[in-house]
Amino acid sequence: MINLLTGINATASALDAERVRMEVISQNIANANLTRDVDGKPYQRRQVVFEKILNQAQAGNAGASETGVQVVRIEKDQRPPRLVFDPENAFADANGMIAVPDISIHEEMADLIVASRSFEANLAVVRNARTMALQTLSIGKR
Amino acid sequence: MIDALFNQTNYVAAKKMLDATALRHEAIASNLANIETPGYQRLDVNPSFAVELSQAMNSNSSQIANLQPALVSDTSAIANGRDGNTVQLEKELISLNQNSIAHALETQLLTGQLLRLRLAITGRPG
Repeated sequence: MINLLTGINATASALDAERVRMEVISQNIANANLTRDVDGKPYQRRQVVFEKILNQAQAGNAGASETGVQVVRIEKDQRPPRLVFDPENAFADANGMIAVPDISIHEEMADLIVASRSFEANLAVVRNARTMALQTLSIGKR
Repeated sequence: MIDALFNQTNYVAAKKMLDATALRHEAIASNLANIETPGYQRLDVNPSFAVELSQAMNSNSSQIANLQPALVSDTSAIANGRDGNTVQLEKELISLNQNSIAHALETQLLTGQLLRLRLAITGRPG
């Protein structure tokens, strides 16, 4: 199939992956104070793992080819929960301590900015590809 | 006979450069897509293509048609972090814009050559 927008497959996969990352970050922020997850333990911070995907159609050719990206899995961050003194809480232990997720809002916001900058960079690629396609289509016209 | 109209050195070379530009855009798209993939090595058009093209233009113009740009991973790029990724956002955005301007130049070169040919055939501009 002809592809007027060169590199659009890689860019589309990247936009998809960055959107998943933003969703995971918003999930972390939303659950920053969740002391009882479905397994009864404090919520564990999630993070995405990116991996490149090779274009199947071109993989057989010699040399490198257009490479997309995908989220292969969403990992649980294994850092231990923070202990906070809160004797009023229904889930507090004998010492009045309660385990809350060790999620730093600042860390998540920094990640969110990185994700949205990457998203913008990929959108710039699409804009350029569009301009280039229009120029190619007008070859021979004055 | 009619083939000779489209076999001028500059015309064929401009077409090859346009191919390379489109391929470089593909490389940049891949690089920006994988800006945070651990271990990713940035892609680029093979550096030998530009050398071979200028050599072919100087010596034997019939060789130009056989040249083919290809994507290779850029082994000279240095990883900017511990994850082994060699993509740098600023550099890629600059080459994205350079490439876009190069594309505009090459399409205008081709258009100019085609319009001159039409002028020669019809005697009317446009």
